[in-house]
Amino acid sequence: MNSQNLEEIGKKENNRQKQYKRRIFCCTSTACLSAGAGQTFSTVNQSVSACKCAENEAEVVQTGCMGLCSRGPMVRVDYRDGESTLYGNVSPEIAQLIIAHHLPIEGKDSEIERSSGDVASPHDMLHFRASLREARGKKGLEKYIIPTDLPFYSKQVKVVLNEIGQINPNKIEDYLAHGGYKALTYVLENLTPEEICDEILHSGLRGRGGAGYPTGQKWHFVRQEDSRPKFVIVNGDEGDPGAYMDRTVMEDNPHRVLEGMIICAYAVGATNGYLYIRGEYPIAIDRVKNAILAARRHRILGNSVLGTDFSFNAEVRIGAGAFVCGEETALINSVEGKRGMPRIRPPYPSKSGLWKAPTVINNVETMANIPSIINRGASWFASIGTEKSKGTKVFALAGQLRNTGLIEVPIGITLRDIVFEIGGGIPGDRDFKAAQTGGPSGGCIPSEFLDSPVDYESLTRLGSIMGSGGLVIIDDSTGMPGFARFFMDFCMDESCGKCVPCRIGTVQIRSLLDKIISGKGVAEDLVKLENLCKLVKNTSLCGLGQSAPNPVLSTLRYFNHEYQAIVQPSLPVSSGND
Amino acid sequence: MVELIINGKEILAKPGQTIMEAALANNIDIPRLCFHPELMVSGGCRLCIVDVQGRPNPTPSCGLACENGMVIETHNSKLFDLRRDILDLFISDHPLNCVTCEKSGACQLQKYAYEHDIHKTSYEFKISKPIYQDDNPFFIRDHQYCILCGRCVRVCDEIVGASAIDFARRGFESYIATPFDDAMVDSTCVFCGNCIQVCPTAALMPVSRKGKGREWELDRVKTICGYCGVGCQIEYAIRNGNIIYAQSSPDAPVNGEFLCTKGRFGWDFSTSPDRLTTPLVRRDLAFELGLTSEAWQLPLDSPLAIRNPKVEESFIPVDWETAFEVVSEKLASTVKLYGPDSVMGLASARCTNEDNYLFQKFMRVGIGTNNIDHCARL
Repeated sequence: MNSQNLEEIGKKENNRQKQYKRRIFCCTSTACLSAGAGQTFSTVNQSVSACKCAENEAEVVQTGCMGLCSRGPMVRVDYRDGESTLYGNVSPEIAQLIIAHHLPIEGKDSEIERSSGDVASPHDMLHFRASLREARGKKGLEKYIIPTDLPFYSKQVKVVLNEIGQINPNKIEDYLAHGGYKALTYVLENLTPEEICDEILHSGLRGRGGAGYPTGQKWHFVRQEDSRPKFVIVNGDEGDPGAYMDRTVMEDNPHRVLEGMIICAYAVGATNGYLYIRGEYPIAIDRVKNAILAARRHRILGNSVLGTDFSFNAEVRIGAGAFVCGEETALINSVEGKRGMPRIRPPYPSKSGLWKAPTVINNVETMANIPSIINRGASWFASIGTEKSKGTKVFALAGQLRNTGLIEVPIGITLRDIVFEIGGGIPGDRDFKAAQTGGPSGGCIPSEFLDSPVDYESLTRLGSIMGSGGLVIIDDSTGMPGFARFFMDFCMDESCGKCVPCRIGTVQIRSLLDKIISGKGVAEDLVKLENLCKLVKNTSLCGLGQSAPNPVLSTLRYFNHEYQAIVQPSLPVSSGND
Repeated sequence: MVELIINGKEILAKPGQTIMEAALANNIDIPRLCFHPELMVSGGCRLCIVDVQGRPNPTPSCGLACENGMVIETHNSKLFDLRRDILDLFISDHPLNCVTCEKSGACQLQKYAYEHDIHKTSYEFKISKPIYQDDNPFFIRDHQYCILCGRCVRVCDEIVGASAIDFARRGFESYIATPFDDAMVDSTCVFCGNCIQVCPTAALMPVSRKGKGREWELDRVKTICGYCGVGCQIEYAIRNGNIIYAQSSPDAPVNGEFLCTKGRFGWDFSTSPDRLTTPLVRRDLAFELGLTSEAWQLPLDSPLAIRNPKVEESFIPVDWETAFEVVSEKLASTVKLYGPDSVMGLASARCTNEDNYLFQKFMRVGIGTNNIDHCARL
């Protein structure tokens, strides 16, 4: 198998797809599945086959996230001539309405009685035909149509999520038809490892896991190491509550991640790689494993990749449910089969990582950016974003908003645009109160900073972090001390127990918060709370501990009055012995 | 060599040396709890933080490699405060039972709490793991004193190779446990007690030590272990002539801080009534040689009467000089009468190489025979 073969497969698949008059895309991402997309998908499938129309009339495609997860399950009908309709909240009944609206019912019922259906039994088929005929006349489908010119869609710039919702994640041919693995064949044929690292460095891509380290720099470090072997790890241990960017990318376009990973391996000289996926993502694990098998079959993985001298193997490693394993050194320990506890840095993984070998460890989203940078050039990528933060960022938009879901926006977009344009504003007659970025490690940003750009530097300056992409919007019905306690609880539970500030400090922060929220706190407790938070922040071993107090510190900073309102005034200084 | 400045003093460090190692080599005492010179770096206790010029936050010195031109401060008021606050957190999860604690005086947490002027915690006092385990005859695990420095886990894994214990659960609830929390005897533990040796607090304690005296009441006697030819140095803690426990000291030339289970726990023979303390000569032989005036006959049924409960009746104690005389006389006469090959020498694997070398030399040159072997040939 070489690059030409791949291109042919892509072309063939493209032609195959073009023969269909309409293609019906059903989202089968976790968010929609939990809203009932499984049933919707099978109803669509059975209804289409019950229609008995010609082979080229319609194809049902299992695909990925279409963004507006709050309106799931979602179904989209694309016509060959470009017309496209997007439906939300598609229950099985609505699915029948959709099919009845878009597809003719052909054939005779009597023929079906004699046939042996492969999708459904003849009895079911007849039943479906009856329901479809009944649905045909019905009205009310309009309110399920989602206009695609909503700001929710128009304000987004899709790079990482580009093919998601367009392709079947379980079909490598579909990815190839959408230009997949072109970047890989290009670098294998035209670029030296050093040139790739330079290209990534020039693109300005920074780690999407939260810390924002320049990816090209990291690759250069590993490439320059002399020791062999070297490893590539893709960090798919996404643990922030409410965040599911990486899950969606792995579930809905696993080949993009693999392609980025293989390019990385070629650039740094790695021979083996691991995709570390948290155990709570069974669908992502399945689809990535499928993708690896398909890539092996097509000689994209394995010995002599696409007929070159370069060999690379990738495997999936499944996390056992510890948040801290998203921290790179703890993740490395976990891959090694040890307890997931962070290691002291330096040495950094680029020098001594997995089994003490030089290791690149990048987030899923970072890896998924790579093919686009290679295909469209570093300068194109660098043209998106701000001076120091380039490209786009995927956010899992959640909380008290009209539209929630998965969005990809150019870095530097204002918080106001995200909340009021893309998110559609706060429902009810409530007001925006704060945006929590970066999950439990991030901070709360109040309304006076709504116009500040969302990039690494600005968010850090505001006492929060970019993080991996969790974005929770809260309205004025939420009390901030309680909100901070929720995240503190999370950090306390997820502390690994290795270093003291995090192990005991988080527990003590939590009990101080308890005391304050229950109304027993005094003014001194707030000082104590702040000092303890600073201690934990400044002396913890890993990123988890260092950022654990952020929700408390940022709410103390911006919503101090809420704390002041519930603590009692200072106790008089006692004169006697205590 | 790497040149750097620690506390205003120019210091030469070996390449690859950490700040902690360089400081220790130059008698700069950086507070530390999880660091141990023989073990891999953990970095969990956060006490060894130092200020590095050009870095915004204090950095742990145990994991930081020396670099040319670094300027380090190990003690200043900011670091003192940070350390005190960290110790404050430690103390919030560690009962201050120092008044009755055996480890008092040797406890490192106590030492640093004292140095940082901490009397009690300013936080809510919460014991994370009130577990007491005495499931084996050698040591007690009192988890409430455990500060989770992980030294025991690392020594068991890195030095002993048994990996019998590790962290269980996580966060505040984590504690050191055997796999599936089984009894220690059912784990891969070999009871070498090196975990006790490296424990900075009273979480691990030899059973023999409980209630037998405080640190300052114990005398220390250094000796060489007699169990094998390695020659490990042991330091016995003695009170009123009785051994309370055994440990090793970092300056022990052969074994450093580590001992095996026999060296650490196998010392109760020393006060056993069955222990031989002087050479013995058989009574009949002694009469023959004029060492006693009392005639005595070996009982016929048991020539050496080893199993005779009245064994002391068959022998008389003599001093070493007499014993040597008896042995050399009998050896010489046997060789003269029956030839050198009538004698055989059996050496012990517990003797040192030097002793065994001398012994075979004695057999070959002194006696004149090659009949020489040792007990380990089994």
